[in-house]
Amino acid sequence: MITSEQRVSRLSAVGIALLGVALFVIPFLTSTTSLRQASQIIVSVLAVLGVNIATGYGGMISLGHGVFVGVGAFATGYYVSDLSLPWLAAIVLGAATAGVSGALVGLPALRIKGIHLALVTLGLAIVFRPLSKRFPSITGGVSGRSIEARFDAPGWWPGDGRMASSVYRYVFCVLVVLVALWATWNVVNSRFGRSMRALRDNDTAAAVYGVDLVAARVTTFALSAGLAGLCGALQVVLVPFVSQDKFPAQESLIIYASAVVGGLGTIWGSVLGVLARTVVGKVGSLAAGFDGLGPIGEFFSLLDEPAFVFGFGLILLTFLFPRGLAGIRRKDRSTQ
Amino acid sequence: MAVATPETRLQSRVLATVTVSFAMDYVLLLQRIFDALFNSAIYSSLALALVIIFRSTGLLNFAQGEMATFTAYIAFVLLSGPQPRLTGGGLAGLIPGVPFSIPLAIIGAVVCGMAAGAATERALIRPLGGASDLALVNITIGLLLATNSLMAQWWGTGPRFFPSIFPTGAGQHFVILGARLRYSTVGVWAILLSVLVLLVLLLRHTRAGLAFRAVSISPSNAELVGVRVGPTLMYGWALASGFGALAACLSANSVLLEPSMMLRVLVYAFAAATLGGLDSPKGALVGGLIIGLSQTLIPAYVPFIGFELSVLPALLAMVVILLIRPAGLYGTKRIERV
Repeated sequence: MITSEQRVSRLSAVGIALLGVALFVIPFLTSTTSLRQASQIIVSVLAVLGVNIATGYGGMISLGHGVFVGVGAFATGYYVSDLSLPWLAAIVLGAATAGVSGALVGLPALRIKGIHLALVTLGLAIVFRPLSKRFPSITGGVSGRSIEARFDAPGWWPGDGRMASSVYRYVFCVLVVLVALWATWNVVNSRFGRSMRALRDNDTAAAVYGVDLVAARVTTFALSAGLAGLCGALQVVLVPFVSQDKFPAQESLIIYASAVVGGLGTIWGSVLGVLARTVVGKVGSLAAGFDGLGPIGEFFSLLDEPAFVFGFGLILLTFLFPRGLAGIRRKDRSTQ
Repeated sequence: MAVATPETRLQSRVLATVTVSFAMDYVLLLQRIFDALFNSAIYSSLALALVIIFRSTGLLNFAQGEMATFTAYIAFVLLSGPQPRLTGGGLAGLIPGVPFSIPLAIIGAVVCGMAAGAATERALIRPLGGASDLALVNITIGLLLATNSLMAQWWGTGPRFFPSIFPTGAGQHFVILGARLRYSTVGVWAILLSVLVLLVLLLRHTRAGLAFRAVSISPSNAELVGVRVGPTLMYGWALASGFGALAACLSANSVLLEPSMMLRVLVYAFAAATLGGLDSPKGALVGGLIIGLSQTLIPAYVPFIGFELSVLPALLAMVVILLIRPAGLYGTKRIERV
């Protein structure tokens, strides 16, 4: 299966334009709280993109990307508070730390494949919480840890007060996510991206054509974990508090589900997955707000639960659109 | 056979350290082993569920734990009678509560679980018809997430007390060489073993059992000789879910009933199944025994691990086995065709 993303279809162009307008308008319309929530949603694209790189492009099923988000968050918190590094350095190092931990997980993935890798990464997702409780000096143990440093707007930034800082953080996150999307798009369409996909489709054939399997697998996993770690780092930027209970196994599974529902193997799919999660959640919480709907109301309040929506969505889309939301319009070419 | 694997070498090293302390405190050691045996039975039973499905359908059922937890909630509802606040809110309130006795409630839950397992196979797995690993993972993960949040919605996330089927009071134990062997441990093993005997009889002496064994070995050949593969797989899923339900109902007393109670247990069970060989029922039993013992003994003798982290050795064991000997102790070696 060779699907190149070189061409940007008209629909994507319209979608990108709409998203661009939305991103621009959001800070003018909202309060600090909802701006923070919007930033968090935008940042979560990175984690989903991470799963997409490992699973969609690299063919390695990862059910444990919440772990790398967690590593990124804890590491950033540690660098910025214990080592008093400047924020930018802490964010970069935090993402890098997650990338290194991803490379470590990628090493066994050289031999463990398919459902077995899914099994190991699920185990990792389940073990992560007790593991992070074990290192309270970094993670704050059971109750979590608040980070003293604040990512506030610098002097040259227009306006002042809490709102200005919120907008500053929002703009920063949006820029980082856009740059990451652009960079990832370039990576998957580069020589390395092609060897990644060759690995996914048939690793023996890829090796015959001269792809270094070890390097390619480990790099793919490191890259994907690094993206998830960047998501964790930006979460700390937005809310200077880290805690193990933000990273239950379900979180990892929801990230995975968002990637699949959005569409694996396309960058656009990761954005769609997060959008779907947001829209369905909003509809659910709005509808659940009405009283007197009876059992229907209860159904809507289930829609408010991302775990339910994405569990259900995973099953539904596997049957109806195996390529995810991004693949609905595309003609089904050899879906396996 | 078992001697050569690194896993057993690790086990024997653990045993070696254990023997040193044996001289010092054998009562404590024996006590720890007795305590571990209860968990062992639970892991064996859930691992059996995983193995039965993997053997026949070739997929790892990640939702096994959540499906089992759901049946434990059913048992809970059956036990508690028509009290809406106890039985859960919303739609769950519609399930009629009958104050069943504990054994009856557990049997009811196992029957419900078997029906749910069969329905899952029929509705979600069979229509996919041997799709890719990715699709199967997606279905089972979807099922895990949906079931988990459904339970949280209906019954809340708070832990609930689930009565034990065995007497668990202060004096309810045998004393063997100074250590206490609880009645519940003996009971859970008695149940597991008698169900196993039933399973073996079913597989060896009924037509359905024969068909199931044929399908497990080779679905396509079984089909050629006239076995109806679909219903047979459904039968396998029902059996597996029955074991899962049993595991959940018997352990709900000690781990407290809550929507995610089987997630950790699932890691142990998967480790046990991997250790024994993912397609070997005997392996599941032995694996469950070993994993259960090491879960209690390793934290006790390796202070760094502690009880919080007791799930880590299980995960590491799983990774090591998959790396070095993917077939486990008793599993069949897979030969990959290039």
